[in-house]
Amino acid sequence: MKRMVTMFAALLFLCAAAIPVAAQTKLKVWYAVSGNSGEAFKAMLEKYDALNDDVTIESSYSGNYGDTATKVSASLISNTAPDVALMAAGPLYTGARNDYFIESKINDPDFNKDDIYPGVWDYAKYNGRICAVPYGISTPVLYYNKAILDKAGISLKNPPKTWAEFVQIAKAAQAKGNISGSADFWGFDVTDVAWLFKTMLNQNGNSVIAVKGTKIAPAFADEKADEVALFWKKLVDDKVMPMGQHSNAEKKFLAGNLAFLVATSARISRWASDPALKIGAIPMPYFQKPSVALGGNVLVILSKDLKTKEVAWKLVKYLASKENQTAFALNTGYLPIRKSGLTLPEAKKAVESSGMFGVAFDQLDNSWSYWHFEQMGTMDQILAQMIDTIERNVRDPKAALDKAAADLQAEIDG
Amino acid sequence: MNAGKRSLSSRNNLQAREQRRAAAVMITPLFLTLFFLFLLPVVFVVAMSLTNWSLTTPARDFVGTKNFRFVLNDERFWKAMGNTVFYTAIKLVADTSIALFIATLLDRKIHFRRFFRIAHFAPVVVPITASSLIWLWFYDPGIGPLNQVLVSLGLPAMQWLYSEKTALLSVILFSVWKGLGYNVILFLAGLQSIPESYLEAARIDGASERQVFFKVKLPLLAPVTSFVIMMGIINCLKVFTEVDVMTPNHGPLESTLLLVTYIYDQSFVRGKMGRGAAAALVLFIVIFGFTLVQRAFGRKNVSYD
Amino acid sequence: MKSTMKKRYPVIFVFLILSSALMIFPFVWMFLSAFKTSADVYSYPPKWIPSSFKWTNFAEVFKKIPFLRFYVNSIGVAFIQTFLQIAISAMGAFALTKLEFPGRKKMFSLMQSSMYVPEVVTMIPLFLLVSWAGLVDTYAGLILPGLNCAFTTILLMSFFQTIPNDLIDAAKIDGCGYYRIFLQVMLPNSRTAIGTASLFAFLTHWRSYMWPLIVTNNVKMRTLPIGLKYLVQETSSEYQTLMAASLMAIIPVLVVYMLMEKEFVQSITLTGLKS
Repeated sequence: MKRMVTMFAALLFLCAAAIPVAAQTKLKVWYAVSGNSGEAFKAMLEKYDALNDDVTIESSYSGNYGDTATKVSASLISNTAPDVALMAAGPLYTGARNDYFIESKINDPDFNKDDIYPGVWDYAKYNGRICAVPYGISTPVLYYNKAILDKAGISLKNPPKTWAEFVQIAKAAQAKGNISGSADFWGFDVTDVAWLFKTMLNQNGNSVIAVKGTKIAPAFADEKADEVALFWKKLVDDKVMPMGQHSNAEKKFLAGNLAFLVATSARISRWASDPALKIGAIPMPYFQKPSVALGGNVLVILSKDLKTKEVAWKLVKYLASKENQTAFALNTGYLPIRKSGLTLPEAKKAVESSGMFGVAFDQLDNSWSYWHFEQMGTMDQILAQMIDTIERNVRDPKAALDKAAADLQAEIDG
Repeated sequence: MNAGKRSLSSRNNLQAREQRRAAAVMITPLFLTLFFLFLLPVVFVVAMSLTNWSLTTPARDFVGTKNFRFVLNDERFWKAMGNTVFYTAIKLVADTSIALFIATLLDRKIHFRRFFRIAHFAPVVVPITASSLIWLWFYDPGIGPLNQVLVSLGLPAMQWLYSEKTALLSVILFSVWKGLGYNVILFLAGLQSIPESYLEAARIDGASERQVFFKVKLPLLAPVTSFVIMMGIINCLKVFTEVDVMTPNHGPLESTLLLVTYIYDQSFVRGKMGRGAAAALVLFIVIFGFTLVQRAFGRKNVSYD
Repeated sequence: MKSTMKKRYPVIFVFLILSSALMIFPFVWMFLSAFKTSADVYSYPPKWIPSSFKWTNFAEVFKKIPFLRFYVNSIGVAFIQTFLQIAISAMGAFALTKLEFPGRKKMFSLMQSSMYVPEVVTMIPLFLLVSWAGLVDTYAGLILPGLNCAFTTILLMSFFQTIPNDLIDAAKIDGCGYYRIFLQVMLPNSRTAIGTASLFAFLTHWRSYMWPLIVTNNVKMRTLPIGLKYLVQETSSEYQTLMAASLMAIIPVLVVYMLMEKEFVQSITLTGLKS
């Protein structure tokens, strides 16, 4: 009897040892989006956690883009970094640390990397190599005030293709479309100056930056850039665009004192859902070829050991799937990163609800980005200041471009 | 009686020792906070300033005084310095004098005194997200009420935050409005602690209200005034939030680029933490210099000169 | 004298009304905005009177974020920080103004210098220190690094200096040790100063955003200013909910102000001094 019990116990013990213990991996996820976007993202994480017994997710809102960057930096030094982060400038934390783990994983067949717009992939590169997964993406969009255009008797059925054509229309709208009776009435303005300027440079054949070996160099001081800068200056000189009031542009637009506004595509969901606002959008005009610059956030994997990275990658694949990413984008105001996302019913419904979505989605085919590099934030700042000096006649366009390029080069050289 | 018979020196020694003992107990908590929250971080900042520490990449090489040389040769740094000194000078004078004026008014027995006091404290309490929104509307060149008032009076409309000539002054105005409540309270506290008997004595001696103010109240307010000025200098030289919220990209032609926004810029926008640290140390020396100057000029102040 | 006071009275009154109106403007706007609908909030020029009074905005706040938790955290942390800060500052101010000890001047200079460094600069080194000590996501990590006492210490020093040494000498003759002198002479005679210092300290701690953000990850540990940011979003902020939340967030500050304000109405007479 005793022998049977011992044998039985030994058998049980062997069985128990043979069963692989389900290892629970804990993933820390930080995200730099709040409000509806934050809630939507957190919901996806919670769903993944519920569906997967072997993973627990600890998620946390880490502040806006700037604050998240600070938190991530500090956490990297103190070895308390999250495993996955949804943040801006992600490649600067992976590629710049020689971590190209994601590049090795995107060829997974169930990830379907070719489904993602090529321009959008460029937004996730450092040194030409992919090291992040694009996620909450936006582009500049040209909005217009329907009431103003109606009053001016302008139809946008055949929207202007080039900037030259557009300026004529903006001037006409400004001359004839004043619905508010205010003296502070304008034809055109833009919220993010550097973003539109870079878009225009690319449209005119300028690549903004050039790659010299492993280093980046400014490339925006050539004749093509001069043309763009001169065009910009003319907008201000001709009094189509107010000088140096871009931080006020959106308010002016909402107050009905601005006919056309270039702002982020992220505004579409807010403006489309408000029946009182009669706002539309047309495709971005161009110089030589249509193009819009990308902005937004990306997903990065910051774990140290390979095993956790693999687990994190599975989560990233889930988040970036056609259904999840498209639903997230449409519910929160970002753009779908996958071409197949546009075939989903939610996308079709969005396009039906407002033409603005259609315009933004179509622009994705021509979306463009340069690779991430350390001084990209500095470059945006230098460009914005440069445009300020051009608008205010402090420097003529060519000299301003040359100085900006020199300043950026000095920063890159360190 | 025995106490009187002890020699003077030994009694003093005993007292001195007791004082030192009590002082040690009383001052230690303060010293501990200074050690952990100030000394240690500053040592780190000094170390950081000697490297090319980056916010994003793992760069950590020793570069000696390169960051200091960069900062001191940077025209943007000197621009920030000039703007900051201008900001400090104007805000300090405006803040102190207006706050003192209002505090004297609120010190009197008038109806609704408590309402007026809390009203003047309101800007301090209201979150800057709300107050900046209203002021941005005030300053709107097209439809803002300030310009509408000017135009209706026949004066030309001003560009306020959108012209390099007026942006900094507009920010200062907002800043003064926002910070007034603090100083009003401080001056009020100072005025309240002046015993009524002093004032009565002066009035009985035939002094007019103006003389009472200038000859009795003002001198007795000296410690508070000195405190207000010193804190004013330090806080003005360190200003960040108000400027950042009113003029997000350093204003037209960077006319509202100030020292701490410059430091923030270098550290968190340009990612050059080493440079930011160097600039912070230069700012430290600047503030130190200013307070030395203030001490030299001050008569009765909270120091030991 | 009385007649000039009477003559000036209406002028002063009117001036104060105008001045108060200017000061209280944004508060009124914020108050009204808490009741607005989404459409009202985005109209520009800003609409003052809500089209309809939506009391539901306040309930919305609790639905969208764990507001109560943030509130409790903020109150707990701010009160503890204020109490500790005032205690440390008062003791330090007493030692620096009324006691002789070696290194007094140096200590004062050290303390004053600690105010010359902006928060953005010390943030990261402090975080490293706190992280190394294992205090991330803890109340200790939230409370302790906020104890920058220089401002309140120097403030209390200004007031302590005006307390005449005669009082202290009198107490010494009565046989009081320095601790009793501190508790029974210094503190009772500087209630206005302590009230003022407490108000300022509380306000600073109540509003602190950057440090709590960097030292906490767990939403249960977070404070109100971070909580408010949860409501903001680049694609479609519900601004009116933010205003409702902000309105509820200022209440404790106003309460502390009211408590402290009583000290102003009392007249402080330093009895036994004049002679």
